[in-house]
Amino acid sequence: MIKRILSRIDIKNTFLVKGMHLEGLRVLGYPEFFAQKYYNENIDEIIFQDVVASLYKKNNLPSLIKKISENVFIPITCGGGIRNNDDISKLLINGADRVLINTGAVNNIEFVKDAVRTYGSSTIAVGIETQKIDNKYKVFTESGRTKNDIDAFEWIKKLQDIGVGEIILSSISKEGTGRGFDLDLNEKASKVCEVSLLAHGGAGRKEDVYELFNSTAVNGVVIAAAFHHNYFSELLKKKEISMGGSTSYLNSENFINNFSLNIKELKKYLKSKNISIR
Amino acid sequence: MKKKLAGIINISISNILSIKRSLEHIGFNVIIIDQYQDIDKLDLLVLPGVGTFKEAMKKLIENNLLKLIEKAIQKNKKVLGLCLGMQILFEEGEEFGLTKGIGFFKGKVENFNKYKVEANTLIGWNNVRFNNKNKLLEQHALVANKFTNNFFYFVHSYFVKTDDENIEVANSTNGEVVYSSIVKKDNVLAFQFHPEKSGENGIILLKNELINL
Repeated sequence: MIKRILSRIDIKNTFLVKGMHLEGLRVLGYPEFFAQKYYNENIDEIIFQDVVASLYKKNNLPSLIKKISENVFIPITCGGGIRNNDDISKLLINGADRVLINTGAVNNIEFVKDAVRTYGSSTIAVGIETQKIDNKYKVFTESGRTKNDIDAFEWIKKLQDIGVGEIILSSISKEGTGRGFDLDLNEKASKVCEVSLLAHGGAGRKEDVYELFNSTAVNGVVIAAAFHHNYFSELLKKKEISMGGSTSYLNSENFINNFSLNIKELKKYLKSKNISIR
Repeated sequence: MKKKLAGIINISISNILSIKRSLEHIGFNVIIIDQYQDIDKLDLLVLPGVGTFKEAMKKLIENNLLKLIEKAIQKNKKVLGLCLGMQILFEEGEEFGLTKGIGFFKGKVENFNKYKVEANTLIGWNNVRFNNKNKLLEQHALVANKFTNNFFYFVHSYFVKTDDENIEVANSTNGEVVYSSIVKKDNVLAFQFHPEKSGENGIILLKNELINL
């Protein structure tokens, strides 16, 4: 199978936000602009994550994806605050193809089992946020706020046993840094994971993505900030930054240049390195 | 010019919004069909598909929609099956117990897990090879040439391999399994992949195959 390149768009209220280590969220702009741009540049899939839904127990995604699905014809995964089948149905009927459950799975595994039976394995993905504590990868929930005494690899095995179709593995220590992937984590995970595994957290340069695919067996990569920075720098050049972002931290050219990926260029590079992609 | 009318069969568990949006995008008016109704006005009937073979057939029978599909085929209406919607057009499915399908196409639906495959549940972009022997080659080669690549988006744990070369327009591979990814007979066309989720390729294919009915 070919490797998948996914864009992740984090949502707070109606804005696209991005933080570091899942914290310190800043508003970057309107998610629909970013989604359309990535679609036009041939992204394989998009993940929308409501990063405060779990905390505030509400979800703004259904109305957003309903709008986006008018013009974006690729698979859409939605996550954030999913607790029951009603939450899932609401997302699916509004244009999502798959849902991403994290906190809801740790709190109630029976819910995930039931969701797999109701919607099928391929509709249910579980997100695992992990960080090394005392040399062991532990599972975190509530967007990295709550630590659980669960081993990440044992958790992967458990989830695939109950029929979860896809695992999206986020490295909290790498997330939003652009300093490369946690290859050790992704290699170990891809050895135990028999279902689709996507790596998230750390993409900054195209070489990082190549290294990930070359040294681990993950099925795809999830990239957020690096794509956003690239798009944002284009907007800066065109002086079109009055699009809803409070983004002074990005105005430094150096920051953008060192931590930025263009989808088309990334794909061209990976193809030149014989990585099988679309 | 009056827009053509497409009806999408609603098997409640399916995500039909994306299909509706893609058909609207290429110029159809779209209605959702929940129960048996007159189909004379329809230019196209779509069988979508997410869920299981058994559940889908049960719902179609319960809501008297099976009769509607059979009538559309009889009346030579253009019918489009997508993913599970393609599979139920075959004779038999083994998902959660053997279930009889619509039986328009010859062949049965099997599970990948009995074979050496790359993925038991295939989620992702897979290559679609247009069949050179198929008499529809000329027409499809025209379509194929407009694609930048032959990748389409698939999500499935079950597949069909038809023995009938006359109906297989294209096939795809998962490990040792070569399966049918496009089948066509008379006015019935079906894709194992999701054209409504396959980016510009999917839109081009739908446009070429459906809008100039």
